[in-house]
Parts: sequence; structure tokens; C-alpha cells
Amino acid sequence: MIRQNHICKHVAAPAAALALLLAGCASPANRQAMIPQVLGPLQTHPYSVRVQSSGGSDTGALDSSNISDADLKSAIEEAVVSNKVFKSVVQGKDGDYELSVRVTSLSKPIIGFSFTVDMEAAWSLLKVSDRSVVMRKSIKSSGTATAGDSLVGVTRLRLAVEASARDNISQGLQAVSALKL
Amino acid sequence: MNKLVKLLLLLCITAAITSGCAVNRATAHIDPATNLSALKTLHVRKFADDNANTETLIADRLRAQGVKVTADPQTPPAGVDGVVTYVEKWMWDITMYMLELTVVIRDPQSDFPLATGNSYHTSLTRKSPKEMVDEVIGNIYKEQNK
Repeated sequence: MIRQNHICKHVAAPAAALALLLAGCASPANRQAMIPQVLGPLQTHPYSVRVQSSGGSDTGALDSSNISDADLKSAIEEAVVSNKVFKSVVQGKDGDYELSVRVTSLSKPIIGFSFTVDMEAAWSLLKVSDRSVVMRKSIKSSGTATAGDSLVGVTRLRLAVEASARDNISQGLQAVSALKL
Repeated sequence: MNKLVKLLLLLCITAAITSGCAVNRATAHIDPATNLSALKTLHVRKFADDNANTETLIADRLRAQGVKVTADPQTPPAGVDGVVTYVEKWMWDITMYMLELTVVIRDPQSDFPLATGNSYHTSLTRKSPKEMVDEVIGNIYKEQNK
């Protein structure tokens, strides 16, 4: 009986808690958390832009945190508006320029106390009227979350994914803003 | 108490098994301004942690696609139309298997990713490295034809 109690208290219960914690709690990168705040003084282009994103993926219940295309698109659009990179953001097929952001890699650690996520995205800006390529740039970024940010591994990983996306959007918009259109 | 121990162990086993069985992804994306069929010569750059000679598998698969491919030196020969990089991630479940493969075809001058393919298969639907390469490269070229 003492042995059973010992197994229950010291082995089975913590193992079950750990397994459940690791197995079923992944959540996607939060759109709001991917928006970089103030990017500093940026040049405003007096044109409208439409934003497209691809290469992201949804987060399954048993998966690790991913960035969905829709959330990445919204985060970029909000960052464009709040930092006044373009005069306006439009939807559909309108717009003077088309900004495409394609996630090409999102490298996530599997285990660790401090998680660093590396991201690469292909940023391209096309002039809609003649489909000419104005900018093509590979942007690499990284984000780190430590045990101080969250003790829960899946949350820590999500925070690192969001930080890498934030850094990527920040670098991308600075590059776009610096263009002479 | 005995029932509780059994229940907890059952939960452990269920969680451990189900966490590795169900995730499958296979995606490919191409830059809208890129014409893959115009890339006649490619160079495959070896991944530092290559565990399965994936570099050769990718080169062979691209040759089957009709592309002239070099693979050995780190530095691509002058005049290639694109540089192929890849990242493979391995996992252990009874035996080691390739969990994820990402292949990127890049512009040799700017390093810009022209096309990307990714496959992710967890343990129960695992594929051999050759099958992973077939799937990823096949999906990249299929995407061009859409």
C-alpha cells in the first residue's frame, strides 16, 4: 500500500500531468502579439497597398505553435496602418501595391528552458499597374522566451514564435518604408 | 488508490501515443514572379546536420525533373540559376525518422526564396527520407503548374 501511494504521488501523477501538459495545449501565435509597436519615424508612401501572406500553417491541438496566414496578414495590415507605412490598406484586388509575405521557415526548438525561434520570410512588393517587382528581400528574425516569461513550455514556445514574427514584421516594414516608390 | 494509478497511467499512455500520431502537412509556395521552368541549373547546398545524405536525394530528384544539378561544394559554381537549401528535423520513436523537411530554392545573388516546400509527418505516418524528398520537390513543381 505504501508502495502504491509512492508510485501514485511521485511517478504516475507528475507523469500524467506532464504528458497532458505537453500533449494538448498548443495554441497559435496571437495576431495582436505579432504586431510590432512603434517602429520609429518611417516614411509614408502616398499609395494604397494590399497585403497577402502565405507559408503559414494552422496549429493543431497536438501540434506546436504555428503562425496562420490570416493572423500574419492581419498583423502586417495593422502594423502598416499604425505606423503609416502606406496611405491606406485595401482588400481584394484593389490597391496600388501588393505586399506579399511568405513564411519560408519557422524553426522551433523541441525542448529547453529558453526557447529561441528562428523565422525567415520572403517579402516582396509589386506595383500592381505593371506587375513590376519593387522589392524582394529575405528577412530573417528570431525571438526568445525564457522560463521567466512563462514556466509552461507550450506558452513559452508561443511567446518565442510571436517575438520572432514581431521582429520579422518590424524589419520588413522598415525595409518597405525605406524604398523610394 | 489502485484505480487512480491505473487511470493516470492510462492517461499518460494515451497522451503519449496520440501526441505523435496525427500531424501531417505538405505545402509548397512559389513567388508569383518566379518561373521555375526557367531555372535550368541548380546547386544544392549541404545542410550542416544532414543525417541521411539528403543532399544527394534532393539532387537526384531535381535531375529527374530535368534540371542540371551540382551538389558537392558549399560554394555554388558561377552562373547557376538557383541555390537549393534544406533543413531536416529528425525525431525518435522506436527508431529515428525524418519528422520534417523544408526545401527552399533561392536566388543565387540575393538569397531570396523563390520557392519553398515543406513536409511534416509524425511517427505513425512517417516517410523515408527519399519519400519526403519526393513529396517536397514534387509539390514545389506541382505548385508551379497550378
